[in-house]
Amino acid sequence: MADNPLVEMRAITKRFGGVTALQDVDLTANAGEVLAIVGDNGAGKSTLIKVLTGVYQPTSGDILIDGAKVDFSSHAEAITYGIDAVYQTLALADHLDPAANMFLGNELTKKVLGIDVLDNKRMRAETERVLMERLGVKLKSLDAPTESLSGGQRQAVAIARAVYSEGLRVLVMDEPTAALGPQETARTLKLIQTLKAQGLAVILISHSLDDVFEVSDRIHVQRRGQCVGVVNTRDSSTQEVLGLIVGAEEAA
Amino acid sequence: MTTATANRPLTERLEPYIAIIGPMVMILAILIFMGVAEPARYFRTTNLNLILLDAALYMPMAMAMTFVITQRGIDLSIGSIAALSSIMMAFLIKQYGFSVYIAVPIALMLGALMGLINGLIITRFNVPDLIGTLAMDLVYRGFALVIAKGLVLARFPDFLTDIGRGQIPGFVPIPVLIGIATMIAGYLLLTRSYFGRYTIAIGSNPEAAELTGISVKRHKVYAYVLCGACAALGGILLTGKLNAIQATSAPYFNLHVIAAVVVGGTSLFGGRASMLGSFAGVLLLSMMINALVTLRIEFFWQSVASGVVIVSSVALYTWMQKKDRDGTGGWLAGLRTPDGQKMLRFSALLIGLLIALLAVGGLLAGDPNPSG
Repeated sequence: MADNPLVEMRAITKRFGGVTALQDVDLTANAGEVLAIVGDNGAGKSTLIKVLTGVYQPTSGDILIDGAKVDFSSHAEAITYGIDAVYQTLALADHLDPAANMFLGNELTKKVLGIDVLDNKRMRAETERVLMERLGVKLKSLDAPTESLSGGQRQAVAIARAVYSEGLRVLVMDEPTAALGPQETARTLKLIQTLKAQGLAVILISHSLDDVFEVSDRIHVQRRGQCVGVVNTRDSSTQEVLGLIVGAEEAA
Repeated sequence: MTTATANRPLTERLEPYIAIIGPMVMILAILIFMGVAEPARYFRTTNLNLILLDAALYMPMAMAMTFVITQRGIDLSIGSIAALSSIMMAFLIKQYGFSVYIAVPIALMLGALMGLINGLIITRFNVPDLIGTLAMDLVYRGFALVIAKGLVLARFPDFLTDIGRGQIPGFVPIPVLIGIATMIAGYLLLTRSYFGRYTIAIGSNPEAAELTGISVKRHKVYAYVLCGACAALGGILLTGKLNAIQATSAPYFNLHVIAAVVVGGTSLFGGRASMLGSFAGVLLLSMMINALVTLRIEFFWQSVASGVVIVSSVALYTWMQKKDRDGTGGWLAGLRTPDGQKMLRFSALLIGLLIALLAVGGLLAGDPNPSG
């Protein structure tokens, strides 16, 4: 492992009223690495990444980027530090075309008679470029509404939106393959490899251990709000990880 | 549309154009029918002018309503906003001697303000769009009645009648130009501005819009403000056209405009907007009503015709958009399922009871006694 991890979460605790969702959780993610977070429902996976992406603020504990302590008061602030997420629902507006979706909330404009006007042509060209250069994806038509795309293509558009900001360093993906068929899943996993090769730290939340073992470098196992172990994917097995998830074995 | 290159199924290729094809087909049907039934009177220049003049009245409101409906909202108060803002404008001109050039912008501002109130009630107090605007419709209409006290205000300065029914010699009426200008502005707003882009995003997926940092509530309010201002413009055009205004004017603006927008392919479920469709929808309704008049059909039938057009076009869109048509043997197949059978028996029972009651009433009927 690198001496200075890209992102480090130290002793994160998050309580909602009397419920402790996270208890002293440590997490590190390195550039050019896929870290998978696995665990049963209610194990605290989602809460953990919501803390990392600034949606929730931790009750106690620190987040460090490049060794420097940061505090996110909102998701937007996390994005300025280069941390973004692709949600399970993808958060796409289905009736808009892919380019409009990619730039949603962050549109490119040009001045016409002193008024800011959406520059649809440039947004389209940029979308085509980002999809091709960063993700190696070519859509048949950029004019069709996003709802007519396949699950994997929609995923690509959502990822493209996150990677468009050049400062992106950590991409969190929440259950990216949950609603996809085998072919689309394979394509999405390939996308994850592509992003990893570009030096991004990818944090992948998944219920599918097959996907996790295929694509990840390390696996962070959550159980009942605590981290019960981080294993190197190469030295581990489905059996061991499953054991950790259900609590049959004690953490190494 | 046969020029489309890909050999996908016909319905899929047509889908992007559904919005405009629907009303266009119906417009064509009216043209053909009137061409056979009453060509001389329907296609006279003066009659075409009448159609355009009627359609122009609804164009600004249809434009604004397209935004509201695309955001999954609805505005039922536009008729009352039109009446109230015009009444207040009329009072300013007639009673307080305001210049018409100031009174007209004031009316537009008043309309925008009423739209703002609608928007705030919906977004801040979380009153559903339907209930909120329906209630405010009563409020605005009530204010109009209170202010006007049954008076009809008439005879306005030339500027108002010019924008309401003025004619550019050898060309179209001025309100038609105003109406078309607002539709073009609406089209640009929809496709080229943040507001239009976010309107579609909000209607398509409110949660996603919120997640990407769009202020959903603020843009909802903007849509209602636009709708209010356009309703006021509609009221001004009506005042100019009739050269008179009263508190009960413009009673059916809301349903007529919503009908035009929905017929034009803008989805009531949000996200699907078509400005061109709304334009065609407005034209279609005006042509249809004019056709009824030309055919000397009683005026009251137009309400029946509007309703039938709305129901059939919405049903058509929903059917066209259904992707998983499984071809189970036509729409009558539903009658053979157990549930369909129950529904059939229920309908038969209702109709049977009605007929029985009518028969009993007819048998026991005495001498008719006219009410007056």
